[in-house]
Amino acid sequence: MNRILSACKKLGVRSVAVAFTRSRDQMVRFSNNSVTVVNSWQNEVPTVYLASNGKRAACRIEEEEGVEFKSIASELVDSMNVIPQGDVDFDLPRGPFNYEKIDGIYDRRLTEIDTGLVDAAEAAINSARKEGANRVSGVVISGSWEHFVLTSAGAEGSSKGTEIEITVRAFADEDATGQGISIATNLDRFHPDEAGVTAGSIARKARGALAGVPGKYNVVFGPAIFADLVDRVADSASAYTVDLGLSFFQDLLGKRVSSEKFSLCDNGRLPFGPGSISLDDEGFPTGETHLITKGTLEGYLQTSYTAAKHKAQLTGSAQFEGGLAGMVPAPRNLIVEPGEREFDDLLDGAMSGLYITNNWYTRFQNYQTGDFSTICRDGVFEIKDGKLGKPVKGLRVSDNIIRILQSIDALSKKRQWIRWWEVPTPTLTPHVLVRDVGITTASS
Amino acid sequence: MEILEDETRLAVEQALKSGAEYVEARAQRDVGHTLTLNNGVAEPVTTTRRLGVGIRVIVDGSMGFASTNNLESSQIRTSAETAVRIAKAAVRLISAPSKLAPERSWEDKWEARMKIDIQQVSIKEKFDELFSIERALSFDHVKVSLPSRILVLDDELTEKFYRNSEGSKLQGFVPRISLFFILTGEEKGKGTIQRMRHEAQTRGWEAVKEWNASAIATDEAMMLGRMLRDGVHPPRDEIDLVLGSEVTGIICHESCGHPQEADRILGREGAQAGESYVKRDMLGKRIGSEHVTIIDDPTLPDSYGFYQYDDEGVKARPRTLIKDGVISDLLHNRETAAEFGVSSNAAARSVAYDREPLIRMANTYMKPGEYTLDELVEDVKSGVYMKSFMEWNIDDRRYNQRYVGLEAYAIRKGEIGAPVRNPILEVTTPGLYGRVDAVGKLVEYSGATCGKGDPQQGAAVWTGGPPIRIRKIHVGG
Repeated sequence: MNRILSACKKLGVRSVAVAFTRSRDQMVRFSNNSVTVVNSWQNEVPTVYLASNGKRAACRIEEEEGVEFKSIASELVDSMNVIPQGDVDFDLPRGPFNYEKIDGIYDRRLTEIDTGLVDAAEAAINSARKEGANRVSGVVISGSWEHFVLTSAGAEGSSKGTEIEITVRAFADEDATGQGISIATNLDRFHPDEAGVTAGSIARKARGALAGVPGKYNVVFGPAIFADLVDRVADSASAYTVDLGLSFFQDLLGKRVSSEKFSLCDNGRLPFGPGSISLDDEGFPTGETHLITKGTLEGYLQTSYTAAKHKAQLTGSAQFEGGLAGMVPAPRNLIVEPGEREFDDLLDGAMSGLYITNNWYTRFQNYQTGDFSTICRDGVFEIKDGKLGKPVKGLRVSDNIIRILQSIDALSKKRQWIRWWEVPTPTLTPHVLVRDVGITTASS
Repeated sequence: MEILEDETRLAVEQALKSGAEYVEARAQRDVGHTLTLNNGVAEPVTTTRRLGVGIRVIVDGSMGFASTNNLESSQIRTSAETAVRIAKAAVRLISAPSKLAPERSWEDKWEARMKIDIQQVSIKEKFDELFSIERALSFDHVKVSLPSRILVLDDELTEKFYRNSEGSKLQGFVPRISLFFILTGEEKGKGTIQRMRHEAQTRGWEAVKEWNASAIATDEAMMLGRMLRDGVHPPRDEIDLVLGSEVTGIICHESCGHPQEADRILGREGAQAGESYVKRDMLGKRIGSEHVTIIDDPTLPDSYGFYQYDDEGVKARPRTLIKDGVISDLLHNRETAAEFGVSSNAAARSVAYDREPLIRMANTYMKPGEYTLDELVEDVKSGVYMKSFMEWNIDDRRYNQRYVGLEAYAIRKGEIGAPVRNPILEVTTPGLYGRVDAVGKLVEYSGATCGKGDPQQGAAVWTGGPPIRIRKIHVGG
């Protein structure tokens, strides 16, 4: 890291942030109650982010053999030199900083778990089958990581963590499926059997579903589908997305964007948080950022560049992503404030409507307006007279995300961590009751 | 890449020594650049360099995969041993052992054409291209306000060296280049409208020169203006629908290509990308009208999904997935081919050294028919021509799908008329293919990045086809 930093500084670059991640991960995938493949990855990846006079460049190097850092630095500087003047000049956060240890994000046992992943898969399969599933598919993954950051502005620090998670999908019939998730940084908080019970139980109850009917419904969203929507909300609360013109929160800072019952924050330092880390990729300490408080949009996630542009405070959210922008503001652990209700109270509050457990394939018609649709996946149930009723199928939520946020009527006390294939950011969310949600179906 | 012959040999030898029955090792180097203009301001030029080895083994019917980007001999050996060890550990929870269908072994070198080496084109020249598009999007030129303009130029050179324990040794080279843009049009009192477009090929810089991207972007921007100013609600009765090439292409990809991936049919993607409405016994079953023939072909010259050998060393060939409305083939790798008792049709693809090969599409399109667009429209009394789309999705069995039209026009008495806003086609797969009564003759392709796998692998593909006509359907919006 020092070599890269020196090479860039020698070439006259004002701001340099070098990060290095060493990770080891293992994954067991299973389907039809049987393991299909076991994966193991071992990676060492440096990333470099440069800025001078508002011009920026970035590089990700997953290549050790024959890499000449001098020539990479030189190529990056050349690429900056041909960029016309940037729109805003900025500096990286001035260090040094004190990075406090975060409790509960490293468990040595997870670095040695190895064949334990097969045990976890087996536990999930068995519990889902006991609940009534015929077939069980899923993925269990564990990993450990160490992350180092060194910047030209005097920031230097590191963080390390472990994680383990399982997604279980149970099939009780062709159309009767359910999903369960357990995600943790610590082996004691990891419960693959409970994930199997949840998946198997939803699948069993979803048997015999009839085609749903389009219309407007009071909907109780389960944690998995609500986490997906919250992820989209956090994307839109990134200053970078706002600048791209792809946010439904453009020009809404300080304004009411949701029901006052809804509050959302990102917390990169949460003890036991699956996404927690001590410092961001610009070397700034991570922290808690209130995005929406009692319905009001309080702030955007920022990097040094966007903060200079928006004249805002840093949020410790800089993450190297490469691709379009190099360094972007992105969430670590999304936390939805819980409500005061039990799940049954939400059903009672809905009186007549739908309970949707999961979804996939969310797509926007227009990112600025927030018009979107997403497909209901796994168990969907009618709510009749305030109680769970028959399963239904073939439904799609077709609505506007701001309208959904503004129509939140109640949230449960109990929350669940969600992260899976469709929800990349760890999200802690309750069940949520939303009024008058648009539901559509397909013509056959 | 010759240098990595030794590393792949070492990986194969070590895995065999450790007890593997079958081994393949793939060294892959990717070097890419992404240049972005955001409302005329340059985002950072990002460079990506990846080089490593992925090793896949079968031991006692259990499949293991390990990868590393540390190419020291000791680390390659450790990774090979790891692949075998983790596969062995899973044997007790395997009820359906992995087997591979027999295949011929190949020794070959292949490469896609690149007349102008992308690496020899300066960053300045690449930015010049983006700035010329940006200039073409000025209000004076396109007559519509575009408050957001995102232009992305992406290139990547991929070199692979593949070797397996059955004697295959393959060296491949693929240059890919793409231009992606998102434009937001705005008109006072009419709101905003957004358009995404993706031009992409397996070629060198010459592709960019031929696309004439400024003209494409100009046309798209002016279209946004038309839709905003003049668009009205679509008719709500049962009508006929003419779908443009872009819409035909996404339909072929989503509701033919994906459900006919044999790994989904076997349930292998059950917890992530999902399964399929197509079952093992549906080969030979009618799913659409006789006008519907859909092909997936990795060998199309210059196509974004081009390859000559897949990542299991099988020689690529076209696959006819639906022929005259009947399900006629599936996309197979060697593992699913063994399960179905057929040969692989070379659909195994991996996007990087650290990703296992999965069944993927390449370039999926509907076979052209005989009609011009005018002929498709001329006997439609009341309908909509949906030329392009913005929002789309489909359920995880690939049965219930939705496409929201972006550029769309009413059809009245055989003629294309006024713009209509956001017509919605929400239909089942047989409901859609069964209603196709005429197919156009001009095929066009769009670039796309197809997501599948865990961790996600975004594969370069083309989606394409001619305009098609479907009869008597309810359109929402």
